[in-house]
Amino acid sequence: MIHRALCACAIVLSSTLAFSQDLARAKTSVTLVPAEITSIDRGHPGTVQLEFRVARGFHINSNKPSQEYLKKTELKLDAPTDIVIGRITYPQGEDHSFPFAPKEKLNVYTGEFGIGVMVRPLSTVLPAKYAVHGFLKYQACDNAACYPPRQLPVSFEVKVTKGKPAHRRNPAQSPHAHS
Amino acid sequence: MSTPELHGKPNTPVEPPQTAFHDGVSVPSAGMANAKHSRRRDPVILIVIAMVISIMLVFGIQRVHHTPVKTPAGQLPGQPAPDFTLTALDGKTMKLSDFRGKAVLLNFWATWCEPCKIEMPWFIDLQKKYASQGLQVLGVAMDDAGPGEISSFAQKMGVNYPVLLGKEEVGAEYGGLEYLPSTFYINRDGKILDHVFGLVSKSEIETNIQKALGQQVAAK
Repeated sequence: MIHRALCACAIVLSSTLAFSQDLARAKTSVTLVPAEITSIDRGHPGTVQLEFRVARGFHINSNKPSQEYLKKTELKLDAPTDIVIGRITYPQGEDHSFPFAPKEKLNVYTGEFGIGVMVRPLSTVLPAKYAVHGFLKYQACDNAACYPPRQLPVSFEVKVTKGKPAHRRNPAQSPHAHS
Repeated sequence: MSTPELHGKPNTPVEPPQTAFHDGVSVPSAGMANAKHSRRRDPVILIVIAMVISIMLVFGIQRVHHTPVKTPAGQLPGQPAPDFTLTALDGKTMKLSDFRGKAVLLNFWATWCEPCKIEMPWFIDLQKKYASQGLQVLGVAMDDAGPGEISSFAQKMGVNYPVLLGKEEVGAEYGGLEYLPSTFYINRDGKILDHVFGLVSKSEIETNIQKALGQQVAAK
């Protein structure tokens, strides 16, 4: 009796979870892979590599889509004061044709892709961890339908370090010192 | 100068594990002994708990959907098509009920939707083919692009049917339109006969048009 009850519970729960995952999948076709904290010396630029994952069966346009009316994937970031966000480097998309338009190639991201963010803490910043927040704008499609443009919240941490002290050159010595 | 953010509590105490280990052998602790007693609980209670958790999960997930969907799309066939008033690309306002007496193919699309673009030439052909029998194709652009951009896109595609500028409220009336294209087939009495999400074949679209027109559709 107890076993039957437990089985019933398991079936109900698993079907509910499957349903909820299906819904969640439709909502979030792109996820941010948790990033390790990047250490950057203050006053120097460093690159933070953000990894994103496009759910199986979906694709999103690259940063340079093949058609002007398609929504490009774009990262928008707000940095704390004195932390400068520099160049954002997007990967090249892959040209794919899809069942809905077999003769047409679309430049897209599928699977995992990385975006590089150049970060430069000013030399006046206190050494500490700083959080950078923003969002990834993307528009996903599967093989038969497209989902409205979405914004995936993105955040990562940068550990600003003092850095090595500037290399001091030895003062010139008089040739007469070793006489 | 920026102030660094605080990050967690480095000295948070860690709770002791429920199982104690002595010389590599695990010994059940008091917590596990209690678990044995809980196994004797009435199975009906367990089922009720599971049901409550399931319901909470489902409703919790549905609350994440912010669009106030009046009727889920799956329940729309057989219902009267929700009426709306929208502005067309030429600036005129149009109501769905203006087309009562005609079979309406109501297609929600967007400029960024590639599969939508595939269907458009088919709709153009089918509008020509079935116009005399009472078909009206209506496109509703669910787009954040401006009317100019939508208009130039529609012109480029050679669209020969009215294109209306969509609103979220209208999308919500039609089940939320979580993805595009979404096409509704409305009969001459203004009832939704069927809805199709995503791209389907031209022949399937034509069959649905014939049904909406009230024609006998040959079984395939």
